[in-house]
Amino acid sequence: MVNTSDSTYVETSEDVHVDSVHAGGTPIVYGLYDDEVELIEAVRKAKADHLDIYDVYTPFPVHGLDPVMGIAESRLHIGGFVYGALGTLTAFGFMSWVFTRDWPIIFGGKPYFSVPAFIPITFELTVLFSAIGMVLSFYLICGLGPGAAEINIDDRISDDKFCLAFATKGIGQADRDQFADFFRSTGASETSAKVI
Amino acid sequence: MADTLVHADSHAHGHHEVDPGPLRYTMGGATRMTLLGGIVLGVICLVLSFFMDETAHHTRFWSNWLHNSVFFLGISFMSLFLVAAKVLFYSGWHTVFKRVFEAYAQFLPVAIILMAVIVVGVFTGATHIYHWSDAAALETDDILRAKSAFLNPIWYLAGAIVLPAIWHFVFGIKLRKLSIQEDEQGTADFDQHKSMRKTAGMFVPIAAFSSAFVVWLLIMSVDAHWYSTLFAWYATASWLVSAIGLTIILLVFLKALGYFGQVTVEHLHDLGKYLFAFSIFWSYLWFSQFMLIWYGNVGEETVYFQTRMDHYPVGFWANLAINFVAPFIILMANTTKRKLGVLTFVAMLVVFGHWLDFFQMLKPGIFETAMHAEHDAAGHGDEHAGDLHMDDAGHAVAGASHDAAGHGDDHAGEDHSTGHHDPNESVHAVHGKSGEHGAKSYAGFYFPGLIEVGTFLGFLSLFFLISLGALSRANLVPVNDPYLEESLHHHVV
Repeated sequence: MVNTSDSTYVETSEDVHVDSVHAGGTPIVYGLYDDEVELIEAVRKAKADHLDIYDVYTPFPVHGLDPVMGIAESRLHIGGFVYGALGTLTAFGFMSWVFTRDWPIIFGGKPYFSVPAFIPITFELTVLFSAIGMVLSFYLICGLGPGAAEINIDDRISDDKFCLAFATKGIGQADRDQFADFFRSTGASETSAKVI
Repeated sequence: MADTLVHADSHAHGHHEVDPGPLRYTMGGATRMTLLGGIVLGVICLVLSFFMDETAHHTRFWSNWLHNSVFFLGISFMSLFLVAAKVLFYSGWHTVFKRVFEAYAQFLPVAIILMAVIVVGVFTGATHIYHWSDAAALETDDILRAKSAFLNPIWYLAGAIVLPAIWHFVFGIKLRKLSIQEDEQGTADFDQHKSMRKTAGMFVPIAAFSSAFVVWLLIMSVDAHWYSTLFAWYATASWLVSAIGLTIILLVFLKALGYFGQVTVEHLHDLGKYLFAFSIFWSYLWFSQFMLIWYGNVGEETVYFQTRMDHYPVGFWANLAINFVAPFIILMANTTKRKLGVLTFVAMLVVFGHWLDFFQMLKPGIFETAMHAEHDAAGHGDEHAGDLHMDDAGHAVAGASHDAAGHGDDHAGEDHSTGHHDPNESVHAVHGKSGEHGAKSYAGFYFPGLIEVGTFLGFLSLFFLISLGALSRANLVPVNDPYLEESLHHHVV
């Protein structure tokens, strides 16, 4: 299935890419895999060989990849809870203050402090704060957003290729050979180097 | 195929192999004895409730029977609905334990028999749990007369027997038969699965509409003057959460016995999400119904909640605490849904909570009807009747809206059209009486007593005896289901 012959195995000089991409980036070597099962096996082997993975890029979220990579569970949802709780307090507190202190109005004969009437808006603001807060946090953590530098190793990693990358800054030829052997033995269909 | 079952799990976990356990369930002696013991307890409690009752017409017995029959009828119905809906919606994650839903759905014919007892009671006039079935009330009550085209024994028979029978005998049996046939004769053409999709496609819309009729007739009509357009959804949501809770409990139990090795924490995590999500769905419906009635503040509607908040406060607030606050707080985090102990605890809590929810739906209306029936039977001059009505003023109010016999027939209609009297007052006349005078405690009506809990355990044991029996008559895992592989590899995180 996977062609690992030397003809398709492209070793690219790092220097070529330093000119074409902005200087001061991270030099990497990467392998492209055709299948997420191969990718997971490769990641598992890289971990076993104590290779330092730079990152993994996949066209869709691959189940079971995070534990193999040893990535700790995201704390984004804790943020989501905190933002949501903030929304709850904001909505409920604000309405309580407005309708009991600042501008009390009787609606339909109901008391000023009408909890059932406050609940829908409290719910809405909880969801709103939680959603917006999590999106902003996510963008901030990942360095995304308008004007952010685009890191696109290969167009096909958003289509049908699974990419495993190693940083090559300051490594010797022996390590470079080790990476080449690694990609060959784990069944990468292509490999290349780049500065990102 | 057995080979696949072993390897699937080893793949999911990467390193260690998990024993999938036997492909067939056989009920152990301890399980059988426990369930039979539970049924005996239930029978004892039913007998006790029949005789140790302070109402005149054994209403404690009838209401407990109705409460539990309706609860488990709905659970088995929702299980059948889940079987059908999941075939229809290309669901794959649940396939490995879909036989549990199928087994629960096999309780439907038993539930129909349980409901038949109530139907007999309604037809013979032995029960006084439905206001509309009370001949004396019907004579004088304009509202009941106007609704009698729908709220009558014939329609009740349709709601309690005919519709559930259609669910089971037209659709349930066929879905079950195809599922088992697939195990034995299934091929890569998936003929049985395609046939199940067609049956499910017919059943789901029919079930969606017909379940509303069943809820209106069996549950909502105990408060015959009152109605809510949201009520059917609210009650079915309650059934659905209970069905999911019982599924979690049974899976954890069977896993502990060494069955269902293929059912991993991933499947239970998703069931936990169901429990969490549908608990919130239930809360949403509960609150929507409550808030609209609270805001509208129309006496005919608010009476429902006023009765429950004033005279059933513990159950009213416990209902929300158990069925909304507890699952919301406990199951919010990912980690708690993956801890089987916590998940099972919440499932048990919520199943009990929704049983309490049905108690809150049924008992207040039944109690009021029973009190009026008792009062009618005793006669107005009797001192017994005086016990029910506070004083002359209270008597007049109660008489106007519920039993105008002896007050002049036109009186009742006049009061309703002009709205001089708040219907809530009559409720106070009934409920306030028993509490204030302390003549009778009416155990088992204001809050579930030990007899109610024992009856529940009896029905629960019967439910499990029947459904575990059904479970043992087929493979635990549908070995030729087209979605089995997907289910075996199911991953949540």
